Amino acid sequence: MSETDLPRNDNANAMPAPAAPPTAVRPVAAAITLERIVTVVGFALLFAWPLLVQDVFWQRIGALVLLSAISASAWNLLGGYAGQVSVGHAVYFGAGAYASLVVYTDLGWPPIAGAPIGVLVSCLLGLVIGTPTFRLRGHYFSMATIAAAELLRILAGNWPLVGAAVGLMGPPTPRSIADLSFISPLPYHYLFLGVLIVLLLLTWQMQRSRMGYYLAAIRGGDRAARSLGVPVLRYKVYALLLSATFTSLAGSLYAVMVGFADPDSALGILISVKMVITAALGGAGTLFGPLVGAVILVPLEETTNAWFGGSGTGITFIIYGAIILLITRFQPGGIAVLWRQVIARPQRSAAAAESASHAA
Amino acid sequence: MLLEARDITMAFGAFRAVDGANLDVNEGEIIGLIGPNGAGKSTFFNCLAGDATPTAGTIRFAGRNVTRATPEEHALLGMARSFQVPVTFEDMSVADNVMVGAFLRHPHRHEARRAAADVLAFTGLATLAETRAGSLGTPGRKRLEIARALATEPRLLLLDEALAGLTPAETRLAIELVRKISARGITIVIVEHVMEVILSLTERAVVFHQGRVIATGAPRDVVEDPAVVAAYLGHHMKRVRL
Amino acid sequence: MILLQVVVSGLLMGAVYALFSSGLTLIWGMMNVVNFAHGDFVMLAMYVAFFAFTLFHLGPLEFIPLAALLLFGLGVAVYFGLVRHMARGPMLAQILGTFGLALVLRYAAFWAFSANFVSLPDNLVGGTFAAAGLRIEASRLLGGVLALLITIGMHLVLTRTMLGSRVLAVAEDRNAAMLMGIRPDRMQALAWGVGAASTGVAGALIAMFFYISPTVGESLALIAFVVVCLGGFGSVPGALVAGLSIGVIEALSAYLIGAVYQDVVVYALFLLVLWVRPQGLMGTT
Repeated sequence: MSETDLPRNDNANAMPAPAAPPTAVRPVAAAITLERIVTVVGFALLFAWPLLVQDVFWQRIGALVLLSAISASAWNLLGGYAGQVSVGHAVYFGAGAYASLVVYTDLGWPPIAGAPIGVLVSCLLGLVIGTPTFRLRGHYFSMATIAAAELLRILAGNWPLVGAAVGLMGPPTPRSIADLSFISPLPYHYLFLGVLIVLLLLTWQMQRSRMGYYLAAIRGGDRAARSLGVPVLRYKVYALLLSATFTSLAGSLYAVMVGFADPDSALGILISVKMVITAALGGAGTLFGPLVGAVILVPLEETTNAWFGGSGTGITFIIYGAIILLITRFQPGGIAVLWRQVIARPQRSAAAAESASHAA
Repeated sequence: MLLEARDITMAFGAFRAVDGANLDVNEGEIIGLIGPNGAGKSTFFNCLAGDATPTAGTIRFAGRNVTRATPEEHALLGMARSFQVPVTFEDMSVADNVMVGAFLRHPHRHEARRAAADVLAFTGLATLAETRAGSLGTPGRKRLEIARALATEPRLLLLDEALAGLTPAETRLAIELVRKISARGITIVIVEHVMEVILSLTERAVVFHQGRVIATGAPRDVVEDPAVVAAYLGHHMKRVRL
Repeated sequence: MILLQVVVSGLLMGAVYALFSSGLTLIWGMMNVVNFAHGDFVMLAMYVAFFAFTLFHLGPLEFIPLAALLLFGLGVAVYFGLVRHMARGPMLAQILGTFGLALVLRYAAFWAFSANFVSLPDNLVGGTFAAAGLRIEASRLLGGVLALLITIGMHLVLTRTMLGSRVLAVAEDRNAAMLMGIRPDRMQALAWGVGAASTGVAGALIAMFFYISPTVGESLALIAFVVVCLGGFGSVPGALVAGLSIGVIEALSAYLIGAVYQDVVVYALFLLVLWVRPQGLMGTT
């Protein structure tokens, strides 16, 4: 840094202005308004979607988008906000899915009644897997989550209670409304939308609270965070428990809608990877990132599958993989960052003028 | 006696980075830890800060034994520190960085924000509040380190070469800041190489050499102590090997 | 007697594990980037061997070096095209990057070759050896021995040649190496190339006695991770010892508990090592 003259002002202890224009963190007022408008319009669309499109295919996609958004947003709590990139979140999803189907198969309960059990199991799993694993850095943590998930998938494939390799099915015909077995995707759409809104509200509150700041600090650097009194392990566990809970709920909702689960569809690594990509595409660590990711990826996957039939699965994942490569290579922050850059560009001069006027 | 370190030893196998060092710090003092490179002052400092556990010895803070306390516990008890290489939270704004510290004593957002704003004003960072921490230059980062630590409302502030790498003008400003902090009643222990800082800022200097304290007293006296001079200039017979 | 058979076949497979894991440990040690696509590299090499044989009637003497060469090229391309940019990015990007690559490779294979298993004929390397009461397929024996030799060779090249020491220098301290006139970029690209080439050889070897399908990469990748973590990342001798051990453990598990659970044992061991001694059995803290 070159020597700078002390600015002549009342504040004798003010810092000399840095040589390069400071980059602002919050966008300017106009940009915030634009974001708010887009958010409102977006949610209006989400609400009205099944009524706007009369085609069952598209209505179903709407419900699937919301389901994917729930799991990705749940992953986001741990992987995005806390920065602990778990690639084994399928265990929580699977726990929720299987819990629902087990209570139906063995106890005759409506599948949704299994959701609280799924949550409990997921939280326990999270504590058992997560606590020792949180000591590991970066890549090791991710690998450990993969290994744990694969381990459980193989075990489930041999466990009669969850139907071993064959899996479990839900009620073939609904016995009451509690079974939540609907022909039309509409009820599912609004059910999932409700859960998503609750999750997003919770996330938003968390983000603004001490927990949000502490998680951001943990993401910013364990060592520095600890020196400021942040109980790092405890907050990682909090994030994990919250994340596992909602991922498990997503699994239960999935089981209710699809009526089937087996080790590959409920515990497979692709489930985990999809969650990560969906959140990362939209922007990990942002509130609406996972939703944006879901809006893009789910229709993409469903239409690709519809067009290409059997071999469609292969193509879908080639596209997924290509998308990840593109994000990684060019914009790891995902669409959220791209958005900020796009709307921030015309505002940059305004922002510079603002800060300059503050420093004067 | 706010801080009391007795017989601190830090051994790595046969090598002793710190060898029976003692330190007494009274409330309100500004103490400087100085010594040539490899003298063990940074290791000692890390023991004080809770980043490392000494192989032997005890550290008491306000009467409590904190030898094995974690960094989080240190912060809670009122011992804050800055890092030699600033580890600011790059992607967060300056204000948010400070808020993380403020949350320790103020669990609620609004109070934490107000407390952080006070600290920002106090440290002269108010105009940079919304700036991304990663875009600050070195002096800004160092100042943010200190501000963040201050936000935890410590009784004792441990500064690790917080004034190194600054231009003379920046150094003067930083010294002003440290004086202001001390004027608020916060005890300060500062590890430093820059002589100007030690001479103008500290009331008492503690000189390390080969893991031991070889002199302690007023900076002017200590600097002229022949043992200290010898340590700095280095006798070729006793070379510190790491 | 059966036990000895199991152990020996475990060692032979373990040698192959050691080979491609050495490649991973080299890549990992160089730049702290985990190659999640490593298993899929092996898978591609297996297909190279298969097609070299079925389409061009090349024998092992030809398709092994061919696979090594092609994978070397892939490794270098991946380094320059992706990894070099990734390594400086946020953690999420680093993990996602090679994951994305894995997906693309795996599902491109799925799409191109379909999900069905294919295999090379059993008698490619003639017959079975029977000695001291053991029966060992010649292809497995060849595979194991060759893998062992090449792994040892890799270690020797790294530690005894000028080029090798340059590579190790960059792995140890990039900046210091630059100051000494070594170009880190080139060395890292070389490491990726060699690391990938090791999967090339390993894949070609495995292809001689294993089923070939697009999904084999997934479990192979995890085995590579286990071996590297066990052996200490960056250490080829560590990978050798760990690879052999894992091979034996896997074989013993399959024999004692059943083939279905052999992966479970390996993964559980992996988690145990990560939790108890993250620096690996032969690494230093």
